[in-house]
Amino acid sequence: MTAILELRHVSKAFGHVVALDDVSLQARAGSVLVIVGDNGAGKSTMIKVLAGVYPVDRGEMLIDGRPVNLTSPAKAREHGISVVFQNLALVECLDVAANMYLGRPIRYAGFFADRRAMVEGAADTLKALKVRIPSVRVPVGVLSGGQRQGVAIARAVQQDARIVLLDEPTAALGYRETQQVITIIRELRDAGKSVVLISHDLEVVFDVADEIQVMRLGRVQGVRRRENADKSEIVGLITGAIEPDREQVAREAESAR
Amino acid sequence: MSASEPHAAEAEVDRSATAAGWWLTRLVLSPQFALVIVIIVFVAFGATHSDQFLKVGTWINILRNAVFIAIVASFTTFVFVSGGLDLSVGSVFAVGAMASAGLLYIGWPILPAILAGSGAGALCGLINGALINYYGIPPFITTLGMLYAARSLVVYFTGGQPIAPLPDAFSTIARADFLGLPLLLYYAAAVVIFAQILLQTTTFGDAVRAIGGNREAASNAGINVRAISTVVYTLSGLSAAFAGVLMSARLGSGQPSIGVGFELQVISAVIIGGTSLFGGIGSVLGALLGSLILSILTTGLILLRIDPVLQDFVIGVIIVAAVGIDQLRRRRMYRSVGTR
Repeated sequence: MTAILELRHVSKAFGHVVALDDVSLQARAGSVLVIVGDNGAGKSTMIKVLAGVYPVDRGEMLIDGRPVNLTSPAKAREHGISVVFQNLALVECLDVAANMYLGRPIRYAGFFADRRAMVEGAADTLKALKVRIPSVRVPVGVLSGGQRQGVAIARAVQQDARIVLLDEPTAALGYRETQQVITIIRELRDAGKSVVLISHDLEVVFDVADEIQVMRLGRVQGVRRRENADKSEIVGLITGAIEPDREQVAREAESAR
Repeated sequence: MSASEPHAAEAEVDRSATAAGWWLTRLVLSPQFALVIVIIVFVAFGATHSDQFLKVGTWINILRNAVFIAIVASFTTFVFVSGGLDLSVGSVFAVGAMASAGLLYIGWPILPAILAGSGAGALCGLINGALINYYGIPPFITTLGMLYAARSLVVYFTGGQPIAPLPDAFSTIARADFLGLPLLLYYAAAVVIFAQILLQTTTFGDAVRAIGGNREAASNAGINVRAISTVVYTLSGLSAAFAGVLMSARLGSGQPSIGVGFELQVISAVIIGGTSLFGGIGSVLGALLGSLILSILTTGLILLRIDPVLQDFVIGVIIVAAVGIDQLRRRRMYRSVGTR
């Protein structure tokens, strides 16, 4: 299966700090790619590159095999990428429906907000994703962390993005809420979306991932299909205890000579 | 908060408002409800002590006095809901009053003078909005600066002298009656209804609430936060100056010291009406009720022969109580209270 979102040999530095060093990535439709790695591995920088927040120094980004240049988050959205950042970006005092349509309201007669359409649209999306909330008319402020996460993800989905990026969607969530988010991620995958998510929680990683990409110090340590992956190997790659694939490949090439 | 827990395994999403709270609960918890009760109790008490309370003339007077605060408070509500603050409305009120009076005095026709006077206020608001949103100067500082600067220019250009006489035709717009009610009431009603519709039913109003609720989230979602906030300050300036123009018409002269301290009355009306200082929540109808309360108290305490000096004591208590109730309400509503 070909990748719908791809990074090829991307590098990104902030001053002297190299955040991404010759990083490649392939995300496929109907598949969940989880990025794991310790702090400072370059995970968040990578998500921000994919979201159009940071431009890259070197390398290229491709969508559907065609090179793209994402200069802003709005541009990324036009290309079908939506992002759920860690700080959720919901407005507590507005109701769920208004939050789902934040920045792109349904209008009638030019300036009036079509509340009925937004309520229906929000409820349909949430229902399709099995997000459980008391009502789409309650303010987001009354929702639990898991419910808010559900709303934030649903909003990303509703933008009809083909590619959904999630930065630590289960951080600070309880067990049941985490399960709820995992369920949503599976729903997205089953709907044919490409999901790229960052997570620290290996339980979650092994629960949802189709592929696991391990990062360390701004470089890719290795990519594993989940069915071939082993938890201790992933931990070894994260901490650097296990040799990264690229060095192994280099050594094999050496010994073959 | 049991209502916020998912209560059924079935993943049906409620589309009605009923799950958002029983309507009677919401009505009773709304800040406007408490205001109406306060008004009724005060009037009932007043009526048993003074016949004046029951006269139509008294009420027309009360309404007429509330007009100026209500017009300005309608749009100061927008400023508060957007998470901002406008201390300059008293001075901008004077700008509108004096600019229109001055232009009439030098022979401008009435309509252009009204438009120019209101436009001068809109310009003050635009300057406020631009400094706050594009130069990053805090609203408190910007509008405090405008309070001083605008007042100073008004006094400078008029030499501190009243401008009179003004054409009778001009005074008519604020003194005449229509169907037994002062024209002023119709203007105020038009402004309040317009503002209410703008805040509650338009996407502009939603954007204003989003900005006040979470500026960063609004910006990330693609809302043009700076432009919308600038428009809000411009509307605030426009409404203040328009009220000033009406005041000049009512007085039949332009008074350079008009509107000193007016901003505090306007802010009081907005806050008493249940609009939050922290942004995101507020209502124009609340501001209207707040304006009425101030006007009823002012007139009512006089009718009850209570020392006028004590008026401000009562108003002070009401403001603090209104904000206290607002905080309680939010604590009940939201999981994370914080400053919100």
